[in-house]
Amino acid sequence: MSYISVDRVFKIYGGRQGPVEAVSNVSFAVEAGEFVSILGPSGCGKSTLLMMLAGLEATTAGAITIDGRTVTSPRRDVGLIFQDATLLPWLSVLDNVLFPIRIMKGDLATHRQKARELLDMVGLGDFHAHKPAQLSGGMRQRVAICRALIHDPHLLLMDEPFSALDAITRDDMNMALLEIWQRYHKTGVFITHSIREAVVLSDRVLVMTRRPSTVVCDIRIPFARPRGRDLGETLEFNAICRTLREHIEAGHRRDRAA
Amino acid sequence: MSADTMDGAGGRVPRMAMERWRPMLLLFPERIILPVLTAAGLLLVWEIVVRHYEIPPALLPAPSQVGQRLWEVLPLLLEHAVPTTLESALGFVLASLLGVGLAILLTYSRLFSAAVYPTVVVFQLIPKIALAPLFVVWLGIEMQSRLAFAVFISFFPIVIATEAGLRNTPPDMLRLCKALTATGWQIFTSVRLPYAVPYIFSGMKIAVTFAIIGVIVGEFISAQKGLGYIIIFASSQADTALILAAIFVLCVVGLALFGAVAAAERLVVRRYGFA
Ligand SMILES: Nc1ncnc2c1ncn2[C@@H]1O[C@H](COP(=O)(O)OP(=O)(O)O)[C@@H](O)[C@H]1O
Ligand SMILES: [Mg+2]
Repeated sequence: MSYISVDRVFKIYGGRQGPVEAVSNVSFAVEAGEFVSILGPSGCGKSTLLMMLAGLEATTAGAITIDGRTVTSPRRDVGLIFQDATLLPWLSVLDNVLFPIRIMKGDLATHRQKARELLDMVGLGDFHAHKPAQLSGGMRQRVAICRALIHDPHLLLMDEPFSALDAITRDDMNMALLEIWQRYHKTGVFITHSIREAVVLSDRVLVMTRRPSTVVCDIRIPFARPRGRDLGETLEFNAICRTLREHIEAGHRRDRAA
Repeated sequence: MSADTMDGAGGRVPRMAMERWRPMLLLFPERIILPVLTAAGLLLVWEIVVRHYEIPPALLPAPSQVGQRLWEVLPLLLEHAVPTTLESALGFVLASLLGVGLAILLTYSRLFSAAVYPTVVVFQLIPKIALAPLFVVWLGIEMQSRLAFAVFISFFPIVIATEAGLRNTPPDMLRLCKALTATGWQIFTSVRLPYAVPYIFSGMKIAVTFAIIGVIVGEFISAQKGLGYIIIFASSQADTALILAAIFVLCVVGLALFGAVAAAERLVVRRYGFA
């Protein structure tokens, strides 16, 4: 059985202007250690799907199973990263990284050492005593990554973590995330609306479209790891990007026809 | 992998440190000398105008006359400043406790909020001064009447500000807490309350001046002592210099109480380390 299995999941929000079908009949599976991106235009239900994986939203129909257990509430072996770093502004970088340990009443002394190692790894070793406001957007997002890793979760759920960053910083963050993956062997679900980012990072890319908000294709990315910056220049890379774009555009055409 | 090369943000931290220093070096003359000069200039104009047009002291005494009167009656004024200050401070503290408490209830109970919040907003809008005589009718002319009115008048800004502050937590932060299976108490103490602290203090700064207004109005109506009583008494004697001297002492009291709140804010902000 797969590590994550999403089985005919629907999500319908009851809104003021009538119900909104945010996720419509989505099924897929993720194996342990896999990095899967979900690619789609904004508003197609990606965040909703991720929140259901995190146990923060209930499914309207269908079931999500992680590690053999149906998801009904948040599980502690999951790390979350959002588009905004969502650091606590009054805590130092180090204390922000340790925040999950505080909440879970873990051992602060041993984890402090680990937090320093994580910060070193993302190049923020000298910034552990800084406040979030003293860091750039990319640095803050790196702190958020460390925070998501501090309690050693099996699964990382990432909701457009680099969408708010400029293109150059974003490329750097992609490389940093690849390195982290090389090192920590997590399972990952990564949401993005950047085709190239999805291809650079993932083992598989799922394309989601609007109306109905469902997964229309599931493409395996064959590139070996470790991957580097030059990956994006290969012909095969660009061919995969083109295929994905065609799937997204087909979704758009259907959208307009509807 | 270094942070600087990766973000192109190498110059950022040193610049921030510079910005923190600059106000202390540059703004010192601006922030101290300029306001003092302005105030001195206004007093000088006042003095000259009163002397030049020979305005009767009962209408408008010159600053020098007010200063002289202040000096004469200073012990009396200080004696009367004590109950005004204590009642204002006590009223403010009670209003803060009640206000923060009510705001917590409002944010945590939807039903309670639906039932009570509209009433709070309506009370916030009515001119509460108009209700002062009612407090005398209900509670008499002793301290409890003025105290209750001070609490009543300074309570609403704290409720409104605290309520806004407690709702100020970014939704993703709350999601993160829930994903970490944080308890409601953990979320409240380590996230929601600290996020609300700046709001609570801005409400408290408004409230502290309102509490003084409440006590003075109460003293106008009912008291046998206090600076408000002195002002009413002096106006019945047409002793305008004494009115102004009492108002001067009242300003000092107001500044001291406001300063105490500002100092507490600074302490808490430093403790929590808000940038
Ligand atoms: N809490 C909610 N209540 C009602 N509608 C919602 C809620 N959250 C999201 N939606 C709607 O569901 C749809 C999908 O939203 P979302 O999952 O955020 O999309 P994405 O992350 O792909 O941009 C949107 O139309 C959005 O307006
Ligand atoms: Mg989203």
